[in-house]
Amino acid sequence: MKNAEALLDSRRLMNSRLPKFELNEDDAAEGGCGVVGLACEIPVAGRHLFNSLEQMRNRGNGKGGGVAMVGLDHEQFGVSPEILKNDYLYAVAYLDDSVRKDVEEQFINSNFDVDHTHEVPTMENWQELENLDAQPPNVVCYFIRPKPSAVQKFLSDGNLSESDFPSKKAMWDELLFQNTHKLNVEYYAKEQRADAFVLSHGQNMIILKIVGYAEDVIRYYRLDDVTAHVWIGHHRYPTRGRVTHPGGAHPFGQGVDVALVHNGDFSNYVSVKDYLGQRGMEPLFFTDTEVAALGFDLHSRVYGYPMEYVIESLAPTGELDFVMLPDEKQEVYEAIQKTHIHGSPDGPWFFIIAKADGLTHQLIGITDTSMLRPQVFSYQRGEVGIAFCGSEKQVIDAVLESLSSEDKRFWRRCDEYWNARGGSYTDGGSFIFDVNPDEKGGHELTMSNKFGAIVDTHPEGNFEIEPAAMESGFDWPSEWTAIDIFPQIVSTFPAFDWPAARGLLSEIGSHASQHSRRQAVDLLCLLLNRKYDTGTLRTSRWLDCVEDAIMGILNHAGTTPCEYFSGQKSPGHLPEPQNPSQAIVVDARPYPIEGTESLARELVALYRTGWRNFVVTHCHGHRFIGNGFGMETSDVRIDVFGSVGDYLGSGSDGMTIHMHGNAQDQVAQIHKAGTLVVHGDVGQCYGYGAKGGRLFVQGNAAGRPMINSVGSPKLVINGTALDYLAESFMAGDPLEGGGFVVVNGLQFESDGEISELDTPYPGGNLFSLSSGGAIYVRDPTNVLSSSQLNGGEFVELTDADWDVIQPLLVENEEHFGIPLARLLTVAGEMQPPSAVYRKIIPLKNKALSVEDSWAGKH
Amino acid sequence: MAKSKLPVFPSETLIHKITHLMHDGMDARTSGEFEIPPALGDARWTDELILSTWHMAATGTLPDNLNYKTGESNGGFDRLDFKLLDEEQWLKHSEDIKTSIPLNRRGDHRKKLSPAIPIYGGGMSYGSVSVNVMMSRAIHAKNWNTYMSTGEGGYPEELYDCRDHVITQVATGLFGVEEKSIQAAPIVEFKYAQGAKPGLGGHLLASKAGEEVAKMRGSVPFVSLFSPFPFHSTYSVEDHSKHIDWVQTINPDALISVKVSTPHDVDMVAVGSYYAGAHIIHLDGGFGGTGAAPEIAKKNIAMPIELAVPKVHKFLIKEGIRENVTLIASGGIRTADDIAKAIALGADGVVLGTSDLVAMGCTRCSNCEGGPSGRGCPWGLTTTDIELQEWVQQEWAVKRLDNYYTALQWRLRDILRKLGLSDVKELVGRTDLLVYTRSDLK
Ligand code: SF4
Repeated sequence: MKNAEALLDSRRLMNSRLPKFELNEDDAAEGGCGVVGLACEIPVAGRHLFNSLEQMRNRGNGKGGGVAMVGLDHEQFGVSPEILKNDYLYAVAYLDDSVRKDVEEQFINSNFDVDHTHEVPTMENWQELENLDAQPPNVVCYFIRPKPSAVQKFLSDGNLSESDFPSKKAMWDELLFQNTHKLNVEYYAKEQRADAFVLSHGQNMIILKIVGYAEDVIRYYRLDDVTAHVWIGHHRYPTRGRVTHPGGAHPFGQGVDVALVHNGDFSNYVSVKDYLGQRGMEPLFFTDTEVAALGFDLHSRVYGYPMEYVIESLAPTGELDFVMLPDEKQEVYEAIQKTHIHGSPDGPWFFIIAKADGLTHQLIGITDTSMLRPQVFSYQRGEVGIAFCGSEKQVIDAVLESLSSEDKRFWRRCDEYWNARGGSYTDGGSFIFDVNPDEKGGHELTMSNKFGAIVDTHPEGNFEIEPAAMESGFDWPSEWTAIDIFPQIVSTFPAFDWPAARGLLSEIGSHASQHSRRQAVDLLCLLLNRKYDTGTLRTSRWLDCVEDAIMGILNHAGTTPCEYFSGQKSPGHLPEPQNPSQAIVVDARPYPIEGTESLARELVALYRTGWRNFVVTHCHGHRFIGNGFGMETSDVRIDVFGSVGDYLGSGSDGMTIHMHGNAQDQVAQIHKAGTLVVHGDVGQCYGYGAKGGRLFVQGNAAGRPMINSVGSPKLVINGTALDYLAESFMAGDPLEGGGFVVVNGLQFESDGEISELDTPYPGGNLFSLSSGGAIYVRDPTNVLSSSQLNGGEFVELTDADWDVIQPLLVENEEHFGIPLARLLTVAGEMQPPSAVYRKIIPLKNKALSVEDSWAGKH
Repeated sequence: MAKSKLPVFPSETLIHKITHLMHDGMDARTSGEFEIPPALGDARWTDELILSTWHMAATGTLPDNLNYKTGESNGGFDRLDFKLLDEEQWLKHSEDIKTSIPLNRRGDHRKKLSPAIPIYGGGMSYGSVSVNVMMSRAIHAKNWNTYMSTGEGGYPEELYDCRDHVITQVATGLFGVEEKSIQAAPIVEFKYAQGAKPGLGGHLLASKAGEEVAKMRGSVPFVSLFSPFPFHSTYSVEDHSKHIDWVQTINPDALISVKVSTPHDVDMVAVGSYYAGAHIIHLDGGFGGTGAAPEIAKKNIAMPIELAVPKVHKFLIKEGIRENVTLIASGGIRTADDIAKAIALGADGVVLGTSDLVAMGCTRCSNCEGGPSGRGCPWGLTTTDIELQEWVQQEWAVKRLDNYYTALQWRLRDILRKLGLSDVKELVGRTDLLVYTRSDLK
């Protein structure tokens, strides 16, 4: 903005003329939330979010749900393409229809030319939706342009001139903003009347929200077939019980052209509110999300900061990450932090923002500096590009599942899933997905991070699947085992085209029906879990086919049990095992995610019936798998397929769990004994309070792995951890049987080759405040520095150390095919372990050393 | 039992001699044989309160010539009194005056627990106290059909004898938490922060984290143990409910208690806890804590329980859920009068910790961390020192606790009858039965 101060002054003037209103502070509470966002090159219909939102209900409590859409279909709103493009879409929620005439007179018709009025259609009877306590508001969309006379009045009322604004659009935006504020004060805040309020004001975008679950927004407003390029769906979990007003639900549309949702809450709501108050902004809806939306609008539209700086003002870069920034950036960031620290929301949050930016439809995900909320980003790039961010992987997969069932251009697995590293120098903790018009009249998705670096990897490989050939051409020996035949398949695989590859799957499928399901499944699991060169095939789509093949075999276990696999006839059916090694296949789909009827409890019931081997298929967020079995479960093995929910394998005392894919948050909490193998990445707080056992992660761990662990847990992470690895680690001396973490800092290239990450550990907090145990980092070139430690020190790796970690790395090789020899190879040369691994041990805490030395002597 | 695992030091004779002297000494003080020691107590736990607690523990009756009702802090409970009825309207003292409270008011399928008194034992972990102390409290809880909490130091094997009366605590450090102890528990208590040290988490210095303690916590001997302030997996109410679901997956029958400190928005925390699935909301106010809580922390951060209880009680009513949840208060509750006042302010019942220790001989000397020797309490209470812990003999301690609770129950009934109430449940939220006393009128 050319003259931001003049603009803020005009707001102060406006406020001084508005009626005074009582704040209803009662609504200020906010809990956690569940959220999914997507940006797609083609319009996506609302129904595809339906299952995703329904599966995420447990992250909300039915007291607030909403959706935002950017990049609409003009026909669905009854306007011409030009009107959709050029007018503002002003969406007003009427809780009391009788005020509509007055609102229109006062705030719409007097200030704007209305090109079209569109009443959002609704279900006839809201009571059919059993989760609703109150009728959702009627929503009217006005397609409007400011009247010249209204512009003149706006300027003179606010002591502004046109030259204060960089463009006409900027001027109109502010007019719109102030119009909305006045309307909301008059019809919402004043005397707490809550008769009407503005849902959103922007171009080519709309917000709809209710007191209920988000999927009921889709139902009630008949959005099943309504399309948009960018969607956000949000479940709210307000901490107060009787929140009966949709004004408090997300998304918040205070910013012009912006819809913002938020997962978490701030501890400095009051400070942010005051910061805004000093800048002439008065929140009306009393949730921290509203102030976040106002803050975002202030920084991006009023101050005109580029997105990078807006993000910095929300999630400041700190500690080591700050030091790692180039000098020029440090200077700017420091200035931003100094100026806006009081407007920077502190506390656990994850923002997802949908933004209409001219012809660009934008989705932005920003994670807080400490990464305290669950978040995952992903994309798929087939003929159509689509990108996601959400609270958990399963909500993304649910959208893809729905899309792919209707539209063969999509498949069920993203090309990549990842977590952002909040407030970091690497990705800035945020990703921006832009859908731009392309020359061919379609749209193109680009993905960048906070720093504007394009992160599009445009993965290679043919995603256009073709039917299976009669023969794959692979030369099967008459007898084989999975582990022996797998290397042979991998070596011929790069030459396979789709017909051959799918032919191979049919051959494995017929092996299953004619010989051994066990062998077939074992081999398919290797094809699913291991990293190898998929040649001309798009890896994610191939893996989708492999998983499908596994499911094809296992789905029959219930109707035609074999020596190896049996199944349930229906939920609640508890057959008995025919032999001790027979596994029961449990289809997760009919089971609730948690609670007394949950999948987790069913597994316990089956365990009590005598089962020791379990194969769980089709998970979509099911939590607590492997929990509740009690002590001494070393004869138990659980294999899990699909998108597992939180707390996998928590509390296990001896069981073996294989997660065939990524795991989520709180995996292996208080893990006591046994083996947990994750053929993918793990989420937040992995191994929190773990006491023992052997844990293996093929890829990365998100924030806070192994925090507060004690005793003897042993963990191998082959990728890296985002931050706070092994904070307050309190295990014993590894050389005396105590616990430790091995970080290999590796990644897999698309051809399956292993390579080193730029740094084995990017975070600023490694082994902080620990009092026992050790970390072994594969860091042959000494990339890590002691500034990343907080209470730890680097020491030489001894032979005794190697004797402790080597057996674990051998087991690691068995699980993931990551050769021990490769780990010891640096730049093509085999090196001794001490030249490859570095050991970190806790520094004796000075404050405690007197006590400790006393204790040591006695 | 614990003793068989311990080395044969100190000798039986020594134990006998020392405990005998200690017990005699205590009795001599309360009987008025000697004058009150000059340095005993402080304004909240006055010398007379300590001595009257010892008297009750020794005899099961109220003392005649000691103030057993209030301290001298000039605030909170010490400035509240009851609006007693005129004597002719008093009910007769009788066993029929009900002191039992239901703990599960959600009406779900889980256990219906009703302790005989509106009191259960607060968490004092193994490590901060000895097995003897824990066992004494557990056996006593069994005798009274009530409960005691493990604290966060794990679940010593011996306690399984009393499993139906032992609350398993799940605290931020997750020390010693395993499925077995969750499955054994009638109530699982989540400790989100404690009133005596809100925001500070727990700590156990290396010197007190010896072999046995470490084993229990699954840790390694002589490594200092810290509990973080928050649950690392719980940053919102939604996480909180997930956390509760986790425990309910392991033990679908247990009641859930959520123990929180009393920040200014404690009312919202309480409602959030209810919606997350809690049966019991346990408010831990600012004045509790053993001598291990830093002094500055003990006094200055959380809201006093006298303010927090009515605030939460009223808010739960406003939200229409007061009937569905049990509200428990702790932190600085010392006497039967305090208990009745807390209930009149809006609690259903209370949790006692410090008073249990006082009944077992604690002098409130604040030496729990054990000073330079690091050995812990000289009276054998808050210590795991193999010698010192022998000064608390189970049989003796259980008897003292039983006596103490007999006197508490007697006095509680006494207050109820003088208010014309025949059931402690009728007292809940009756602030109209309280008066604020002026400081110049003691
Ligand atoms: S050291 Fe013992 S006597 Fe002193 S306050 Fe602590 S528990 Fe009580």
